[in-house]
Amino acid sequence: MRVEVQGLTVRYGDVTAIDDMSFSLSGNKIYGLLGRNGSGKTSLMSALAGYRRPSGSVQLDGVPVFENAAAMRQVCLVRHSADAADKGDKVSYVLEYGAAWRDTWDNDYALELVDLFKIGLKTKVGELSLGQRSALGVVIGLASRSPLTMLDESHLGMDTPTRYAFYDTLLNDFMAHPRTIIISTHLIEELSSLLEEVVIIDGGRLVLQEEADVLRSRGTEVTGNASDVDEFTVGMTVLGEKSLGRTKAAMVYGALDDEQLVRARQLGLELGPIALQDLFVHLTEPVGGKR
Amino acid sequence: MFDDRSPIYRQIADRIKADVLSGALKADEQVMSTNQYASYYRINPATAAKAFQQLVDEQVLYKKRGIGMFVSTRARDMLREQGRETFFGEVVDPMVAEARAIGIPLAEVIRRIEQHENNGGV
Amino acid sequence: MKIFRHLALTLTAFCAMVAGGSFVFAVALTFVVSAFRDVEISAWNIVASQVGPWFLLFIGVYAIHNVLPIAVAHGRTRREFLVAASAFSVVLALVMTAVEWLGFLVEGGIYSLMGWGADERATQFAYLLMYLVWFTVGMLCAAAFDRFGGGGIFVLPVALALVVATRVQVPGSGNLPFVTSLPYLLGAGWYVALAVSFGVALAGTWAIAREMPIRVRA
Repeated sequence: MRVEVQGLTVRYGDVTAIDDMSFSLSGNKIYGLLGRNGSGKTSLMSALAGYRRPSGSVQLDGVPVFENAAAMRQVCLVRHSADAADKGDKVSYVLEYGAAWRDTWDNDYALELVDLFKIGLKTKVGELSLGQRSALGVVIGLASRSPLTMLDESHLGMDTPTRYAFYDTLLNDFMAHPRTIIISTHLIEELSSLLEEVVIIDGGRLVLQEEADVLRSRGTEVTGNASDVDEFTVGMTVLGEKSLGRTKAAMVYGALDDEQLVRARQLGLELGPIALQDLFVHLTEPVGGKR
Repeated sequence: MFDDRSPIYRQIADRIKADVLSGALKADEQVMSTNQYASYYRINPATAAKAFQQLVDEQVLYKKRGIGMFVSTRARDMLREQGRETFFGEVVDPMVAEARAIGIPLAEVIRRIEQHENNGGV
Repeated sequence: MKIFRHLALTLTAFCAMVAGGSFVFAVALTFVVSAFRDVEISAWNIVASQVGPWFLLFIGVYAIHNVLPIAVAHGRTRREFLVAASAFSVVLALVMTAVEWLGFLVEGGIYSLMGWGADERATQFAYLLMYLVWFTVGMLCAAAFDRFGGGGIFVLPVALALVVATRVQVPGSGNLPFVTSLPYLLGAGWYVALAVSFGVALAGTWAIAREMPIRVRA
């Protein structure tokens, strides 16, 4: 499913959550939507799912999504503890809504997942632990088998084994039923190997959109004598620096060419990779770092 | 499972090459599918596919349409040859530098290597 | 159609069950009371004319506040939901009126068997319109509070004006201090006034909920 966002703005009173954002996703990939708290991830996804009227345009496969029955059928957004799960309802009743109202719903798969995550069918949603409620959200999101499936912070409250079960399930279901999946998370380190493409937003604006593997190869940590490091990094995008005595490490963003690699060797500088998570931290840093 | 730093596809490709070199993967043997790899290592299938594509480009693997990926007949010889080219620069030189740094005489290093030779292998 | 079917099957069944339970409770209570004093009023009329409207208001609130977000989260539009909920309001009011009629029928049998006396009651049409208006006013209030937060309070005078009319002609539902004579002045036009109330409540619900954002559940 192709996603096109053009000049999207979301405001709550005086607060601007999304500020004139434009981007497009070609679809059929697992996308990671990364951003700090309050960066606008939930607002963006809500606009993509037709949960609120967009100012600007949000189109799925070329048609606007808001209040468009044909486009809405293709979308599923699960925010935190499941929008489609009412606290007073039993889990079995929550699944009945999916079966009744979603054409693409796979009920056998839903039951299989409920069993996997050890969620009691007779338990009321309000009585589930936070982790179980998140897992129920994952059940709804995956069993919906929507061409555009969005999971917003679905790992909240899950313990480590449950999170790994979630990642495995997500990956296997994506391979069996390829579709566009957008996941937002804080646990970048854990999830990053699952992502094909990364969209980073900050302060309601798009910071970058890039293939995860390309992004990984973009960051380099340059370590060595402070003056040599300074000389080497002149004119480069330096995301962050730290010093220990006379040794300095600088995080630079952008691929290095052969000439630069040779120069680094001449200066005796050590070049190392940067984890996606560290890149993210520095790319979204409001103070200290340069964009 | 991955260090999340250098591109994952390169790490996967290196792992498959290591398996070919060690003989764990034999000539004309089928390798696991992209999805099996993705599922096993918990990585995106596109990433696994990228690793496979790199190995096909390097002629380590070949594709049989509709069946899967296989190890090239010449893959092991080729990788050994490439390994020999870089062995002294990438393995021996740093080892000598390390030995000097911690004060092990090179004669002692050579004696150790000769012991391996006399024991008939690594 | 899918939304309507699900609402009709689940919520109507739930409401009918609650009404049935209330009937059994009312009859049981009447027997208890009869041990201490003469029975002069219909217990079922208290349920039908006083508890019933509030219950339907509650179901109306539930439909918008709880079920509408689920429909949108399952890829349905607000418009589809509102069409279904509008049709459902008529079906639910009809079913509840039928339950009310059946209740009076059975209660009447018991009363004549026991020789008890009952008070007046309204026409079926008055009950039907009362239920219809209360349910839609419930939807209207929920839509206003969900969309405008505290600002939803401004819908309350409107809601009060809409429901006040419904109870005037239903005996046992409480007397109004100022407008007691109004239904007699209006005559059959009264029913028209109630139908208009229903229309206003429904139109208000549509206007407010049509583009309502779906809030994150707390």
